[in-house]
Amino acid sequence: MARAKKNGDIEIKRKITVKELKKQWVLLAWSAALVIYGLIFYYSPLLGLVMAFKRYKIGTTLLDAFTAEWCGFEHFQFLFSKPLFWEALRNTVCMGVINLVTSFILAITFAILLNEIKISFIKKSIQTISYLPHFLSWVIVCSIIHQAFTSKGIVNVLLGAGTNLAYDVFCGIPFVNDWFLDNNILNKFPYLFWSDENWFWPIVAFTNLWKETGWNAIIYLAAITSIDPCLYEAASIDGAGRFGKMFHITLPGIRSTVVILLLMNVGWILNAGFEMAYLLDNETIRHFSTTIDIYSLEWAIKSMNYGRGTAIGLFKSLASVSLIVIANGIAKLFGEESLF
Amino acid sequence: MKKRTVVPVLLGLSALAIAATAGCTQKQEKYKTFTMFATMTGTEISDDNEVQQIIAEKTGVKVKESWLAGQDPAEAVGTMLASDTLTDYIDAGNAFPDLLEAKKLVAWDPYIEKYPNLKAMYTEAEWDGFRQADGKIYWANVFQNHKNAATTCTHNDEAFWIQARVLEWGGYPEVKTLDDYFNLIEKYIAANPTDKDGAKFIGYTCLCEGWKYYCIENAGQFLDGYPNDGSVIVDKSSGKPTIVDYNTTPTTKRYLKKLNEEYAKGIVDREFATQTEDEYIANLSSGHVLGMCDQYWNFQQINDTLKSHGRDLDGCNYIPLGLTIEKGMENRWHTYGDTVNVSSGVAVTTACKDPEAAFKFLSDVLDQEIHDLRFWGVKDVDYKVDENGKFYHTEEMRKNAADADYKRNHLCTYSYLPQWGGTSDDHINANFPTEQGSEFQLSLAEPVVNVFKAYGVDNYVQMIGSPEEPLGAWFPMWSYSNDLKPEMEGGMAWKEMGEVKHEWLPKLVTTDDFDGMWEDYMKAYEAVHPQEFLDVMQVELDRRIEAAAKYN
Repeated sequence: MARAKKNGDIEIKRKITVKELKKQWVLLAWSAALVIYGLIFYYSPLLGLVMAFKRYKIGTTLLDAFTAEWCGFEHFQFLFSKPLFWEALRNTVCMGVINLVTSFILAITFAILLNEIKISFIKKSIQTISYLPHFLSWVIVCSIIHQAFTSKGIVNVLLGAGTNLAYDVFCGIPFVNDWFLDNNILNKFPYLFWSDENWFWPIVAFTNLWKETGWNAIIYLAAITSIDPCLYEAASIDGAGRFGKMFHITLPGIRSTVVILLLMNVGWILNAGFEMAYLLDNETIRHFSTTIDIYSLEWAIKSMNYGRGTAIGLFKSLASVSLIVIANGIAKLFGEESLF
Repeated sequence: MKKRTVVPVLLGLSALAIAATAGCTQKQEKYKTFTMFATMTGTEISDDNEVQQIIAEKTGVKVKESWLAGQDPAEAVGTMLASDTLTDYIDAGNAFPDLLEAKKLVAWDPYIEKYPNLKAMYTEAEWDGFRQADGKIYWANVFQNHKNAATTCTHNDEAFWIQARVLEWGGYPEVKTLDDYFNLIEKYIAANPTDKDGAKFIGYTCLCEGWKYYCIENAGQFLDGYPNDGSVIVDKSSGKPTIVDYNTTPTTKRYLKKLNEEYAKGIVDREFATQTEDEYIANLSSGHVLGMCDQYWNFQQINDTLKSHGRDLDGCNYIPLGLTIEKGMENRWHTYGDTVNVSSGVAVTTACKDPEAAFKFLSDVLDQEIHDLRFWGVKDVDYKVDENGKFYHTEEMRKNAADADYKRNHLCTYSYLPQWGGTSDDHINANFPTEQGSEFQLSLAEPVVNVFKAYGVDNYVQMIGSPEEPLGAWFPMWSYSNDLKPEMEGGMAWKEMGEVKHEWLPKLVTTDDFDGMWEDYMKAYEAVHPQEFLDVMQVELDRRIEAAAKYN
């Protein structure tokens, strides 16, 4: 369908003829199947969104959702009238942004640093070890983290609960010694991380980093390998050192990958850490640990109010789409790659 | 060459596999397999469990049980409903109204008439209690139901518990009030700050996770001398039974203030509010916790762990105390006789392809022979019979019965299917080994026996010493509030009261300024209109009294 011109340019034939269609009937049939698949599995479930505006109680068939009584924006009014919903929204956005930013920075840094290791055996081992936690389920990771931050957990032990370990290690340094004594640090341990709401978001961010950094770095490592080695050689000849090459060749080389991934991940902000929030929270820090998903679990699934659940879902989808559109606009404004 | 050998081998293997599966299905067709889900945490027994096999051969039915893992009942049932993956049998706990509304349950009525075993479970009046708005019965509770002579030795209810060794150390003192209780624990910790393994003692802990927060929430009603109506107090003093809110009584305030003081003194576990249930159970099993307030059924599993580590001989078993707020009051921590909880039980769902067989099996498991297999095990393997026909255990059998592996592979109690307490039809043996007087005494660790001796009692029930009296016709009121949904009248208030208490009770215990915070708490509490809930409870109370009057 394309033929090379003399000067090397490629001309695309745009006109669709009946003859052409006949020739490609197999391909067309396959794509028709794909369209039908999409309509059935991606578009028809969207009809269920009417539940957000109806008084639907779970019944024998899904058709009940369409015959139920209309209730206008009642479900949305209920949501917006609850202070806990706004708290949940704040928590979700904050945790989402913290997770997004920290995991991005760390994954990119990790990938670049790993790339600098020249001994392939060590490089491969570090990479494998770093992405292994990704394959643990959240339940396991969260129980480990929960244990680690209790009063008898490893974090408190390392910080010096009962053992004065941190003090013993650092007490030789005069400045640190004074700081320990002035701030009465030794009596502050064991510190109760789980009853301090200020610690919840950092712990969630840490958990997310521990589990996902290695995995997230894989894609950047792949992007780095596609950078033309000639560029590095040329830079060396021009006198660039290691850091020079990192900043002027590696980083710009993966910039488009970074921007596209960032844009795509912005859409996931509102899904931030359902598992972590669900598995790590407790009554004393509820105001900072409830996310939108937990809220909908509590007020929609548990009370079997699927209408309200759909309303929450619709709200989330609209917010996510607007986030992507805004981020995409900003990327375009700065002349970066964009999704659409 | 290689390919040529691989293909026939593969073909041969797959043929074998097909033959094997075919063989399996033929074997399984000898009996039906039903699935069951109970909204409680539990241990799954292994697929080739021996007693389960024997029961299957005798009745033609095998039930594969699954339990709650991590979620709460409403979540679990909600997801099953939404994804249409209901099991054949279900104990949906407080999610039953949703199943009912979705029309997923099979009515018991025709089968109650057909199977005398089922009919005998409850009196006409009790069965009427299970009837739903359409006049039909969809589930029946399986617990707290005895036949022949009653035999209770254990206190399966809530209490303030204390380790046997603390009582022994204190010279078996009178512990009648909340103040006595904490005084004793304080003195014990002052004298023995650490356990023999060097770990620091936790004087008192209190579970606050999810719905198990009753451990901190409802002690107020008991300390005032009321029985476990659960969500409210029913006050009979004025002649007409009246609903009273225990959340705001002076006693509840005093109780929480006491916890607050003890927290400041370091007696109450600093992590009580943030521990998970698993961590709580692990703490109790370690023997480092001296006391707590809880329902016996919630923590009884730790007894096996204590026994297997020899900690029972150190006096780590818990003894229930019938505390009140002031001296000289009667306590009603123990509920005598059967409490019929009409809000939950076992049901057959519409997912069951053969309800006829399902109900027959519910009846079959009540046959004395099957019942003995479930709770006593296999004759001469799990228990022996003496010349008078009395069942007894040897030391090894007793050890087996506490061994988790043995239980998983050998014993099958179907603990959430219909069962009888009380005495067997032979009028000699108890239906549960734990209630067999002679066995009960032998199963106790020495420190517990010493405690009983010192206080001049024979068992846990006498230890707690609640007066024996007839229950009100409305008892327990919690069987109504458990099923209250936000969409129902008073339901929103009930749910939000729960949220307020979940948040504020731990804060009240840990705060530096109790009185100031109590005022804030009361403001937050009044803001969710608890009166709406109390009014609904009063209506239900009146309705129950009236309904019961029919049978008198």
